[in-house]
Amino acid sequence: MSSQLAPIPILNQNASEERGEIARLSSFVGAIAITDLVKTTLGPKGMDKILISASNPNELIITNDGATILTKIYIDNPAAKILVDISRTQDDEVGDGTTSVCVLAGELLREGERLVQQKVHPQTIISGWRLALETARAALQSSTQDHSSDKVKFREDLLNIARTTLSSKILHTEKDHFANMVVDAVLRLNGNTNLDNIHIIKKSGGSLRESYLDEGFILEKKIGVGCPKRLENPKILIANTAMDTDKIKIFGGKVVVDSMTELAKMEDAEKEKMLNKCKKIVDHGINCFVNRQLVYNLPEQYFAEHGVMSIEHADFDGIERLALVTGAEIVSTFDHPELVKIGTCKLIEEVMIGEDKVIRFSGIPSGEACTIVLRGATSHILEEAERSIHDALCVLAVTVAETRTVLGAGCSEMIMSKAVDELAAITPGKKAMAIESFAKALRQIPTIIANNAGYDSSELVSQLKAAHHQGDKKAGLNMRDGCIGNAEELGVIESFKVKQQVLVSAHEAAEMIMRVDDILRAAPRQRSNLQH
Amino acid sequence: MSAPAAAPAKVLPSRSDFDEKEKEKDVRTSNIVAARAVADAIRTSLGPKGMDKMIISPNNEVLISNDGATILQNLELRHPAAKMLAELAKAQDIEAGDGTTSVCVIAGSLLGAVSQLMAKGIHPSIISEAFNLALNKSLEVLVSMSVPVSLTDRVSLVKSATTSLNSKVVSQYTNLASIAVDAVLSVINPATAVNVNLKDIKLIKKLGGTIEDTELVQGLVFDQTASHTAGGPTRIQNAKIGLIQFCLSAPKTYMDNNIVVSDYSKMDKVIKEEPKLILEMCRKIQKSGCNVLLVQKSILRDAVNDLSLHYLAKLKILVIKDIERDDIEFICNTIGCQPVANIDSFTADKLGKADLVEEVGTSDGKIVKVTGIPNPGKTVTVLCRGSNKLVLDEAERSLHDALCVIRSLVKKKFLIAGGGAPEIEVSQQVTAFSKTLTGITSYCVRAYAEALEIIPYTLAENAGLHPISIVTELRNKHAQGEINSGINVRKGAITNILQENVVQPLLVSTSALTLATETVVMLLKIDDIATAR
Repeated sequence: MSSQLAPIPILNQNASEERGEIARLSSFVGAIAITDLVKTTLGPKGMDKILISASNPNELIITNDGATILTKIYIDNPAAKILVDISRTQDDEVGDGTTSVCVLAGELLREGERLVQQKVHPQTIISGWRLALETARAALQSSTQDHSSDKVKFREDLLNIARTTLSSKILHTEKDHFANMVVDAVLRLNGNTNLDNIHIIKKSGGSLRESYLDEGFILEKKIGVGCPKRLENPKILIANTAMDTDKIKIFGGKVVVDSMTELAKMEDAEKEKMLNKCKKIVDHGINCFVNRQLVYNLPEQYFAEHGVMSIEHADFDGIERLALVTGAEIVSTFDHPELVKIGTCKLIEEVMIGEDKVIRFSGIPSGEACTIVLRGATSHILEEAERSIHDALCVLAVTVAETRTVLGAGCSEMIMSKAVDELAAITPGKKAMAIESFAKALRQIPTIIANNAGYDSSELVSQLKAAHHQGDKKAGLNMRDGCIGNAEELGVIESFKVKQQVLVSAHEAAEMIMRVDDILRAAPRQRSNLQH
Repeated sequence: MSAPAAAPAKVLPSRSDFDEKEKEKDVRTSNIVAARAVADAIRTSLGPKGMDKMIISPNNEVLISNDGATILQNLELRHPAAKMLAELAKAQDIEAGDGTTSVCVIAGSLLGAVSQLMAKGIHPSIISEAFNLALNKSLEVLVSMSVPVSLTDRVSLVKSATTSLNSKVVSQYTNLASIAVDAVLSVINPATAVNVNLKDIKLIKKLGGTIEDTELVQGLVFDQTASHTAGGPTRIQNAKIGLIQFCLSAPKTYMDNNIVVSDYSKMDKVIKEEPKLILEMCRKIQKSGCNVLLVQKSILRDAVNDLSLHYLAKLKILVIKDIERDDIEFICNTIGCQPVANIDSFTADKLGKADLVEEVGTSDGKIVKVTGIPNPGKTVTVLCRGSNKLVLDEAERSLHDALCVIRSLVKKKFLIAGGGAPEIEVSQQVTAFSKTLTGITSYCVRAYAEALEIIPYTLAENAGLHPISIVTELRNKHAQGEINSGINVRKGAITNILQENVVQPLLVSTSALTLATETVVMLLKIDDIATAR
């Protein structure tokens, strides 16, 4: 094994190491490749991707959502994985801007790579970027607007934010309709940011235009046979209990009798027990019983006879939401009716959506809950619509909590890049190059937006830059007509928190990747071979 | 993972026009080619003279159909864009139930227009915006040329059902259209209804006879036979129907059970007990006055056994077993009975009534018919007949289409002419509209309008007429203001299509246009196909 020329083995045989230039190159390449993949989805005229699942070729996803694309694709590059992670963090934190954060980080690295080629030390680049980040953040903060005190104006803001978020998605054709829908839904929450109160159900058929906001809760289940189909001011008991029989959960529990009559008696006893349980449930003074598990025929009949609406097999998700919105408590024992919280609403009824019947609980007491019913031609459209609605809801919830807004359409980026440029002009030394590169990376966002829309990006962005340097702080890209316009008049508004999160996370990720000078790949764990 | 390592911020010369990168172009082209291939495959099925397709499934089963949605569902499509087209047909099926072929043909034609527009360097997002604009205008035109219809106007309803059935193999049988109309009208209240639950109309297929023997039963039809054990009755007049969800067999507990026989003399007792218990239950059933018993299927144990069937037969009770739990609600709604889950609650007030329950023989086994129900009107059953399985299946699909057509009319109470008239009119009006626009949008809207001419073109082509002369003549007629001129396939000429009774619901046309445009716009937005986990 040991020959004279063999290198001294330090690492495990299958482990590998990439150093210095090569390591940096490999992380740059990975990060930039990821950026190039998602950057065409950016902006109001961004494009979609089809994702085909390798494990199940029948599964198709058509999406414009950066986080969805990034989390689904195969990646075998450490730097690329970092970008996927920040995109996911962005999704968790604020729900939108997942593409922007990845693109900005990628563009920063692209600039960084050029500087490294010019023999600027990575640490110098990093310290320059840090200075630039502070300036950019201050500039962004100073450009914010806050209309939270004025209700009408704030709603207008929210509508604009929703429109901006939706304009890049599949819903763009109906964006006013959907913007109104999501704003209504979020405003119903009254400052609560728990999006669980907003239930989204998808029903294929119809067109996107026919989607609507239902001020109630919709359960996609059926009401038991013979039960009342419509209840006003019901008393709802929500339970998670077995309604077949209370089995003894001991393996091999067995009944031993010595005659058929005895056995028949046992069977009756079992039924009796069940009916007792039903009686206890009905004794709660309820007239609607929702169970997570199946309700067998016998109890169903009992409930029907007592005028109680029984709904079986509402899954975990269903009962939890229902409990939340009706103010009920999920119970599994029924001995203490006085301790159980019973839910209520104004009306329970069966309604038809598309071809299916569903149960609607309307007039929810908390008034917060609502259901968004999405209609669309195909399942792909519906799923993408759900993702878009989710994004918009997240952003609005964030905005309700942090009411400051900034201008979109590349305007904020230009404000930041202008401030950073000015900083570069007064900073001596090599750091200035790094700061300048930061400004350039920021300008890439409007460039990409313009490129995606098929406009002449170099022309537009330089015009935009000039406008900002001439003091027009509201200049932004007008992607309808392909010219420079006033972002405020265009109604392109974004949440400050989302923007800031994009800036900070992207910088963090870029810095992290920039600091790498060595990639060690551990040897895969050996699987012990048992058959010798 | 190859990436352009260098040369960021590319400073290109003025890009006034959109030029695609190679890869994006390839992806788009392949999407369009795939989707158009699918559309072309079913194009020949369009219209009254459309042809059928025979599809052989992997397990060598043969399916013959003219229904776009059915064909596409059974084709094993691989390309993602092709699959989207299949989804589109399905969506149209759900929404309107008819026009599944047209929707694909329109989408295919729109994509053809798209590829020409893109070749001219127009950006996809501009195309999609223009298409949406054109769509809105088209919908306006369609609404303006529609005529309101009342649900009490049975003749018009039958006309539109006939139009839908015209392209099917069953078109020579005139009864299906009126069956569909009657079925829908009897489950709704024509004055107030805004939607129809098609689940209230049950279709049962039985081989034998011809399609002409298809009938509408104001009552119930069971696929199962009545029990013949011990010569049980097969025809009961003045039936009182009970529906039970418990079992008429030896007792069984949910827990495991054993009967321990400790000595010889007890053995006899155990053997005698079972018949006794069952007889007791049967007596109780008889006592309530029930003479037709429906038994729900049980998976845990035998719902009935020979012994109980024997007793019931002796008590002159007709038994139908193996009723699915899903059907319970339908049955209850129809005959007005209540399911009984416990023998002790089996009382007379839970029984449903019917004038006649009778087992009827068909060449494909027997069925049980329940007729003469006191309060009909909540549900109906259609018994489909056909001389072979393929025809029968196609008849069922056609009937479903016809039902959907009527349902569309209930949802939107407007009729529109068929025979390609609306498409030509929309095409003309939208072309005129495009002249009021300027710039690229105008060009795209015009392309959209032209693409819609595919429907009359294909109709003519499939009917063996000369498509170009027909389409140009149509244009001419429409330009002169005869907005209801369409292709009369039977006569092979252009006539006023409303007078020829070729009408279809407005919803079918509007939904076809909306869905096709939506899908095309979605396809346009795709620029990459990536493999995911």
